[in-house]
Amino acid sequence: MTIVRMRRLVGCALVALALALPSALAQPSGELVIAGRDGVFGEALTLATQWFTEEHPNVSVELLRLPYAGLYENLVISLRERSGAFDVVMLDDTWAPEFMAAGWLRDLDEAAMAINPGFVQSALDAGRYPYAEGPVYALPHVGNVLLFAYRADLFETHGLARPESWTDVLEAARTISEQEEGVHGVVFRGIRGNPIVTGFLPLLWAHGGEIIAEDGAVVFDSPESVAALELFLALKAYAPIGVEVYDSSEVRDALQRGDVGMAIEIWPSWIPALDDPAVSEVVGQVEIMPAPGQTVGPSPMLGSWLLGVAADAPNPDVALAFLEFVTSDDVQRRLALEVGLPPTVEAAYTDADVVEMFRWYPAQLEALQNARARPRIAQWSQVESILGDFLQFALIGQMTPEQAVTEAHRRIEAALGR
Amino acid sequence: MLHRKQRITRILLLLPALVVLLALTIYPLVTVVYYSFFDYHYVRGFEGFVGLGNYRYLLGDLFFTVSIRNTLVFALLATVTQILLGLGFALLFNRPFWGRQLFVPMMIFPMILSTMVVSAIWRAWFHYDYGFLNNLLRAVGLEGVRWLFDPAIALYSIVLVDVWQWTPMVFLILLAGLQSIPREYYEAAQIDGATGFQVMVSVTLPLIKGHLFLAALLRTVDSFKLFDKVYALTRGGPGISTESISTYIYREGFRYFNVGVASAASIIMLSVALLLTLVYAGQVLRGQRR
Repeated sequence: MTIVRMRRLVGCALVALALALPSALAQPSGELVIAGRDGVFGEALTLATQWFTEEHPNVSVELLRLPYAGLYENLVISLRERSGAFDVVMLDDTWAPEFMAAGWLRDLDEAAMAINPGFVQSALDAGRYPYAEGPVYALPHVGNVLLFAYRADLFETHGLARPESWTDVLEAARTISEQEEGVHGVVFRGIRGNPIVTGFLPLLWAHGGEIIAEDGAVVFDSPESVAALELFLALKAYAPIGVEVYDSSEVRDALQRGDVGMAIEIWPSWIPALDDPAVSEVVGQVEIMPAPGQTVGPSPMLGSWLLGVAADAPNPDVALAFLEFVTSDDVQRRLALEVGLPPTVEAAYTDADVVEMFRWYPAQLEALQNARARPRIAQWSQVESILGDFLQFALIGQMTPEQAVTEAHRRIEAALGR
Repeated sequence: MLHRKQRITRILLLLPALVVLLALTIYPLVTVVYYSFFDYHYVRGFEGFVGLGNYRYLLGDLFFTVSIRNTLVFALLATVTQILLGLGFALLFNRPFWGRQLFVPMMIFPMILSTMVVSAIWRAWFHYDYGFLNNLLRAVGLEGVRWLFDPAIALYSIVLVDVWQWTPMVFLILLAGLQSIPREYYEAAQIDGATGFQVMVSVTLPLIKGHLFLAALLRTVDSFKLFDKVYALTRGGPGISTESISTYIYREGFRYFNVGVASAASIIMLSVALLLTLVYAGQVLRGQRR
């Protein structure tokens, strides 16, 4: 080989390298560590990461699928210690104020990220700090919203109309319990902690009650809260025996067996099983709707899950690329079709294939559009826990509704003042 | 000279264990004692020295005092029941009978399962309408029991689960003790004309006293740490009827991140556990000296 030919070959190689380099550099690369949830949410993240790595072969992903409490503890400890353990973090919308206020999440507006314009507004608002107004710190990934379920066949048999208020719910529960052999009127999660609070909040809001005012003051001790709790306790008379310790598995079993006429709380991920003949005895008979109103209109509770980039993420560019990918219309639609993950973008809710598969999605979108977030305070976990304790005291008859409301108010005030 | 060399060798050999003890036990303990005197929130940081303020807060908090009572009742009931049942089974299995080798592995089966699996099984068995236990009761014409949602019963239901899971361990310890008793003692008692009851009280029990105390110590300390069964079965409810010290500390420390209060509660829990351990250990050591 002559020196001239050799030079030509090297020259060609350099030109090829120069042409390929910009596109190679534009491709995200490196290791991405994601802290996420277990269950359906974890399955969805696993699928999404597989699709992401197919598009970006230079990226490797380590996904941690943790239970609710374990995820919270891990995130608080690692983000507070700035350990750089995670790039992408999944968080419950109630954790967001604490994480954003502490500066643990990257400002996505500042990072000039292309945010999907098609998000349902209420879901996106939960990722802004201050709420609904400030910059975006986290993007909604799971469009969870609390829904209400009722047995359309039983309502028709007993001449009951779709419940428009909580008084209608109570009346329907009484009718079904009294007239339908072996069927309880209503079911809810009565176990202490987050479950009982989650069931109670739509009632409280529908009665015009609040826990924390916009200025941060505790305002739970009010006639509205007492009225809401009285109605909640009245429902217990038509619930299965033992509802005080019912958690999600018991509520789902009761619905699927056809043992109950209504569930005051149902989450999107529970619904597909109701139409699965392999596990359900009420296929096609359960109607889904946003929770009813009372003195004020319906107030469905937002229960969305967000994805953010840790402020100390070792690979922020790959993390931002992943967030953009996983919240795109196409991936949200595919995740809904593959694992039934509730979307957060309107386009996925109106997609014909998705609606054909999940008949309740129009109602779910309506609920999500009108959804209310729980109080945006950093100490919500503690407030929720206190509220759960005193709702339980009332539910098992150890306190009157007035006592429970007053004592919960006092304790929440003390906790926030500590 | 040789003496000094031996001493240095001993110290060098002990050093790794001392370093591990210092790092994993002494340092965390001193830190927890220190935090217990401060208003310290893990996220917000130190918010001032409060002296005994956290301890005063705990002793005035109904949730904490009830959790201490529940934990003590649970530990006492669970341990005593497990010792009595374990002793009964050990005496039974100490004699040869057909199928003995088959039944021993079956006996220890609950102990092999993880507590979360045990709790899931029992949660299904406790179900009021469809649970195995109430179905059994109804089959013999009795009323169903509100196992987990009657505040007066829920704690005892958790004791039942613990007894089911851990009696096998007591059984194994006591069976080992029974099998270590020389046959000659029984033969001598027989020649002296002792009754079965007299043999039990004067020969068997004194000779397995060490094993009994060991089993009681292990089960009391473990029962005192009650957490996972409560978390999986009742989350401390109904009301606070099954709240334990561990669930209280977990809530304060890992849900609220109130490290100061959680540290003070941990010190109180440690003190009670230490006291119980000293009582038991004193009994075991006294027995050995004799």
